[in-house]
Amino acid sequence: MTTTVLTVDDSRAMRDMLRHSLLAAGFRVIQAEDGLHGLEVLETETPDVIVTDINMPRMDGFGFIEAVRADEARRATPVLVLTTEVDAEKKNRARAAGATGWIVKPFDPVKLVEAIRRVAA
Amino acid sequence: MEDPMAAIRETFFQECEEQLAELESGLIAMENGTAEAETVNAVFRAVHSMKGGAGIFSLDALVRFAHVFETALDKVRSGELVASPHVVGVFLRAADVLADVVRAARDGGQVDEARTSAMVVEFAQIEDGGGVAKAAEPGAPAPGETLADTPAQIGGWEILFTPRPELYAKANETAIILRELKRLGPISVELDASRLPELHELDPEGAYLTWRIWLEAACAEEEIRHVFEFVEDDCVLSLTPRGGEVLAPAGFAPGTVITGDNGFKFEFFPPVAEDEAEPSPEPEPEPEPEPEPVAARAVAQIVPPRPREEPVHEAPKSPAVEAMAAKAEAGAAVSATIRVDLDRVDRMIDLVGELVINEAMLSQRVLEAGINRASGVAMALEELEHLTREIQDSVMAIRAQPVRSVFQRMPRLVREVAAQTGKQVKLLMEGEGTEVDKTVIERIADPLTHMIRNAIDHGLEPTEARLAAGKSVEGTVKLTALHRSGRIVLEVADDGGGINRARVKQKAIENGVISPDAQLSDDEIDNLIFLPGFSTAAKVSDISGRGVGMDVVRQSVAALGGRISISSKPGVGSVFTLSLPLTLAVLDGMVVSAKGHTLIIPLGAIVETLKPRGQDVFPLDRDMNVLALRGGYVPMVDVALALGYSEAPIEPEQSVALLVEGEGGVRAVLLVDAIHGQRQVVIKSLEANYRAVPGIAAATVMGDGRVALILDVDAVVKTARSEARGAELTLDAN
Amino acid sequence: MTEGLELPAILDLVAAPGLLEAFTGRRGQALVVNGASVQRLGGQCLQVLLAASRAWAADDVPFAVAAPSEEFAANLELMGVCAADLAHRAPLAGKEFGE
Repeated sequence: MTTTVLTVDDSRAMRDMLRHSLLAAGFRVIQAEDGLHGLEVLETETPDVIVTDINMPRMDGFGFIEAVRADEARRATPVLVLTTEVDAEKKNRARAAGATGWIVKPFDPVKLVEAIRRVAA
Repeated sequence: MEDPMAAIRETFFQECEEQLAELESGLIAMENGTAEAETVNAVFRAVHSMKGGAGIFSLDALVRFAHVFETALDKVRSGELVASPHVVGVFLRAADVLADVVRAARDGGQVDEARTSAMVVEFAQIEDGGGVAKAAEPGAPAPGETLADTPAQIGGWEILFTPRPELYAKANETAIILRELKRLGPISVELDASRLPELHELDPEGAYLTWRIWLEAACAEEEIRHVFEFVEDDCVLSLTPRGGEVLAPAGFAPGTVITGDNGFKFEFFPPVAEDEAEPSPEPEPEPEPEPEPVAARAVAQIVPPRPREEPVHEAPKSPAVEAMAAKAEAGAAVSATIRVDLDRVDRMIDLVGELVINEAMLSQRVLEAGINRASGVAMALEELEHLTREIQDSVMAIRAQPVRSVFQRMPRLVREVAAQTGKQVKLLMEGEGTEVDKTVIERIADPLTHMIRNAIDHGLEPTEARLAAGKSVEGTVKLTALHRSGRIVLEVADDGGGINRARVKQKAIENGVISPDAQLSDDEIDNLIFLPGFSTAAKVSDISGRGVGMDVVRQSVAALGGRISISSKPGVGSVFTLSLPLTLAVLDGMVVSAKGHTLIIPLGAIVETLKPRGQDVFPLDRDMNVLALRGGYVPMVDVALALGYSEAPIEPEQSVALLVEGEGGVRAVLLVDAIHGQRQVVIKSLEANYRAVPGIAAATVMGDGRVALILDVDAVVKTARSEARGAELTLDAN
Repeated sequence: MTEGLELPAILDLVAAPGLLEAFTGRRGQALVVNGASVQRLGGQCLQVLLAASRAWAADDVPFAVAAPSEEFAANLELMGVCAADLAHRAPLAGKEFGE
C-alpha cells in the first residue's frame, strides 16, 4: 500500500523539494501551504504521515499539530516537524503539541524518507 | 527532461526575491510607523524562510547571514529588542546586504565578506544596546556533538524498552520500533506484562508493558539509538552490550544533537515534566533494580516544572473548533489563486491574437461577399467580434501585474544612491497597484532605475545649496505610476533645482549638438539631455554616469513604443515622464490609408478627427503648413509625404485630418486620405523587422491578411516640430 | 453462547478505548475474537488484548483468537506474543499468561 505523506510548508521551493524527494521514494504526496490549508486538506485526505514546517503564515506548525491531535481520527497520525528552528523552547512546544519527531533543516532527503518510513506504520 | 533540482533551485530564488520584497516593505512599514502586529512576524518569516531554503542547496554564506539576521529579528519579535529607528535602519541595510548575498548565491558571485561581517558587528551592537546580554550566535547552526565514539563491536545488545503513554499519544508505535530494530539484525523479544492492570482498571491509553529485546548484531550503540530517536524522551530505555555492562543510563540527554555528514540533524526533545504526565502504573516500587528509572528521575529534575497543559489526547475539542473558526475567517479573507506556468499564458495570448486576426479576416470575407449587414450572419459575426474582444481583454488581464514588483526595488536604490552622493533623500511612491502587462513590467525597471539615479544625482542639489535656497535638507523624489489614455505613465519628480538651462544649452553648443544661434524653447532645451553623448555633470559621476546617458534610456524606451520627456521649473524641480503602452501585444488603433498604404494610428494618441478648411491652413515654409485651431497653430504632417509614399503633398481640403498628441502634450495634425475605422490589432514583430523604419513603430496583420504598419506618432510629431522650429509660434497652445 | 468480536483493521491508540469497551461489554461470555482483518496492531491495543485474555482466564470463560491475519500474527510475534497464548480453553485450568 502506498504511503501518503502530507507536507505543510509555506515555501514553494521547500514544497517542490519535498515532493521531489518523496515521490522518488515511492510515496504519494499531498501538499499544503500553511497550517490552515493543511487542516483543509485533512478534511478530505487521510495521509499516513504528516511533515510540517513551524514558521508559517495564518496558522503555524504548533497550532496545526494541536488541531491535528484534537481531531479524534488523527490522533494516531505521525507528525514530523521539519524546520530550521533550533531553539529548545520551540521544540518543547512542538512536543507538547503532539509532534512525533523533529527534524532540523537542512535535511537530507534520504534521511527524511527513512524517518517517514520509521514512523509510518 | 530538465533537471528537477535546477527547477527547484530556480523556484527558491524566485521565492527569495518575493521574500526580499516582503522584508523590505515590512521594514519600511516599521520605519514609517505603519507596521501592524503581524508585520514583524512576516519580516521574520521572510528571512527565516530564505535561510531554510538556502540550507537545501548548501548556500552556506546565505544560511549564515540569514541566521544572524533572523536572530536579531527574533529578538524584536519577542520584545527583547526595541525596533527603534536606528535598529530598523540597521535592518534595512541588512536587507540590502541579504539581497546581495542571495544574488551572489544565485549567480555564483562573490559575497562581500567585509560588508556581511560589518553587518554582523552592527547586529551585535544593536542587540547590546537593546539590553540583550548575549551577542548574535555565530553563523549557521553549528555542527552538533557527534556521538560517534562508541567503541561498538560487541556480540549483541540487550535492550530494555518501556514506553510511556506520551510515546503513543505522539503517534509513535512500539511495533514500528521493534520492526526497525529487526532491520539491524535478528531479534528475540520477551514481553514483560507484569505491570498490566486488571481489565476493568486498564486505561486504554496508558502504557504498562516492557520489552526486553536481544539484538544479535555487532552494531554501534548509536545505530540503536537512532531507532529510538523520536521516542527517547517518551520511554525508559537501557542498552547493554551482551555480556557487558550497562553503557549508558536511559536515553540521550535532552537537547542532544546528532549530526549527519551534510548538516542533517536530529535533536531530542527534553521531556515535559513527566512525573505528572505519567499515570503511575503501580503503587509498589520498581520491580527490578534497573538503572533507567533513576535516569528518568534525573532528567525530570533537570527540566523545571512547567505549568501543566492538558494531556494532548484529553484536550477538549476547543483547539479544533477555534482552528475551524480561524480557518473560516482566513478563508473568507484570502481569495483563491492558482499558479499557472507563464508559458501557458503566453501561448494563450498568442492564440487569442491569432483568433482576433482570424475573426477580422472572416468579417472582411463576409463583407466582400456582399452579405447584408442586417443579416443573421453579420449579426452573429458582430457578436463574435464582441466576444473575441472580451476574451482578449480577459486573457491580457491574466498576464497583467501591478508595477509594485519594480517599485519595491527602488527604496534600496534610493538608499544606495543617497549614501553615495551624501544627500538625504526621501522617496515617495504612488500607484504601485497600477497594472500593466508582464511584457512591459520586465522592461521598465532599467529606465526607471536610471531616471531615479539621475533625479538624485543631478536633480537634487547638494545639501549646502538646498539650505541656501531655503529648502529642507532632505530632498524628495516621488515616483508615480498611473494609467493615462490607454498607456502607463511613470513619473519621477524631484524637488531639486530644476535644469540649468543656460548650462545645458552651452554644453549642447560646445558639443555641436545645436548651432550657437539656435532659438530653443525652455522645453526643448530641457529635452536636449536626451541627445546622444550629452552630460552636464561637471565631473563624471559614478552614479548616473556608468557609461549610460539619458539618450540610451530614451532609445530603449522608444524601442518599446514608449516616450520619455522632462519638464523642469528652475528652483522647483524636474519631472521625468515615461509613457509606455500597457502591453506590447495588442493595440487599439485607427485604420487609415495614405496613398494606398494602410496604416494604423494608435488610438491613444488621437485627440480628434477633423476636416481642415482651406482658410485655416497657413504655409510656414516650403513643405510645412500649420493649421489654425481654436486660437492656436498646430503643425500639419502629410503622412504619405513623411513616410515617403508620395512626392506630391496632399491637398489639405481633400484629406482627413487627425489631431494627435505625443508625449509631453505635443500636438500635430496628421493628414491622411481616409479613415477606415477602429480596430484592435495584434502587434507583430515589434522590433525584429520594423524598428529601423523611421516613423513606424510596429506592424500588424490585417483582416484581409495583409500587413499594415503602425505609425509612430511621436516620431512623426517630433519631426514636424523640429521642422517648425525657428518659427516664433507657440505650437502647443492647445 | 459464544460471542464473536470482529477486530478492526487498525488497532492503534485511537482504537484502544473502543476495543476495551467491546471486551468489557462481553465480560463473562465465551468469546471468539476474529482477527482476519487486522492490518496493524499497536502497543495499547495489545495491552487491552492481553488484559482481556487474562480476565477471561480469571473468569474461566473460553476465549479464542480466530483466523488471525498474517499482519496480526506477525505483529503479535514481533511484540513477543504468540496468538495461541491468548486463548483460554475452559473448563481447563486457567493458564496464567505473560511471564
